[in-house]
Amino acid sequence: MGVTNTPPAPPPPSRERIPEEAYARMAVVLRVGLALSLLVFLGALTAYLALHPHAAWTSSASDVWRPYLSFLGLLGGLRAGSPVAYLTLGILLLVATPLVRVLSGLYYFEKGGERAMAGIALTVFLLLLFGLFVLGPLIR
Amino acid sequence: MELLLFVLLIFLAGAGAGLVGSLTGLGGAVVVIPVLLIAFDVPFPIAAGAGLITVLATSTTTGAAYLRERLTDLRIGMFLEIATVPGALIGASLTVFLTHADLDRALLIALGAVLLATIPGALRRRTQDAGGAARPDARSSRLGLEGTYVDEAGLSTDYRAARTDPALGVAFGAGLVSGMFGIGGGVFKVISMEHYLRLPMKVATATSNFMIGVTAAAGAGVLLAAGYVDPVLAAPAALGTTAGALLGSRILPGLRNQTVRYLFLPLIAVLAVETILRGLGWA
Repeated sequence: MGVTNTPPAPPPPSRERIPEEAYARMAVVLRVGLALSLLVFLGALTAYLALHPHAAWTSSASDVWRPYLSFLGLLGGLRAGSPVAYLTLGILLLVATPLVRVLSGLYYFEKGGERAMAGIALTVFLLLLFGLFVLGPLIR
Repeated sequence: MELLLFVLLIFLAGAGAGLVGSLTGLGGAVVVIPVLLIAFDVPFPIAAGAGLITVLATSTTTGAAYLRERLTDLRIGMFLEIATVPGALIGASLTVFLTHADLDRALLIALGAVLLATIPGALRRRTQDAGGAARPDARSSRLGLEGTYVDEAGLSTDYRAARTDPALGVAFGAGLVSGMFGIGGGVFKVISMEHYLRLPMKVATATSNFMIGVTAAAGAGVLLAAGYVDPVLAAPAALGTTAGALLGSRILPGLRNQTVRYLFLPLIAVLAVETILRGLGWA
């Protein structure tokens, strides 16, 4: 009869596989990340202005943050209580917030058994790390 | 310039930019970057770095609200980020290379042109949804790029993403523009999702916002590690744009959206033209 017993095609993945809680948790990640970085900005900026009341800003003189571009430099600056190191930390927190969001996506896609979407999320995450830790220092 | 005055002026400029960006729907960076370049003589890559930090702050503010309302399509957002993120990495690197090659003026002209190109996108009357009738392509079906949007009246619209190839191309371009000039590039992302993927307007806007943060993080990561994000400049700019964007979101419901756009878009056009004139050495 020409009829073959092929198994039925699996249904296409639907967005319902992403649980309701994922949206709420990602929203919390965003709010916490933003609040933390803005608080750090506010505190460090106030301290910086209090410590340097008569300083001037020029683009060439503003290289004061460059020692904090390495992990050890930043750690040393934070330990020493440098306001600029804390400002750099605030920037890092802001940049890291979307990275955490991508990681959350990776977790939920993997948990839902969606290999293709989890692969996409992992690729995006690795590309973000590549920019921060390889490409940026390479073109410095 | 004295530091205290500088920080205060940057905060105020950021607040004004955040307000205008929120009212026009274009984001604060399209105002803050030309202001930094023109009024404060900030070097191009450092202005772009500060711009990306303001984009991160404002997109995070609105992104959280869209997620709570379940308007964001996480699946489609993540799918398009596979194109916007490489675009942003290349764009930020290009800015650094062009600066090293003393081609800052070319960057200024290109920025002015991009700012002018965003204006028609902001002027579009977006009253009709494109979603619903589109036929998904093979990739869209395989990845399940579909969903249901429920509007304020409780009416639900099913949508399925179509034409993923051109959408990925436009998303890559949006990422390139974002990384290169330090802007969000939301207008281009929304066009890609409405025009090619045929998503409902609100889903496209919310998903674009979701992508803007990740795209900006890619560009900002490169510029930060390359030494072009000045925290003393970026921090007050981010605080200001966040305050301005929050104020804008409070007063926006009481204003007629299109009227507000007609009021503020000429300001962005003037900044764009001024940026081009600077690039040409005529200002």
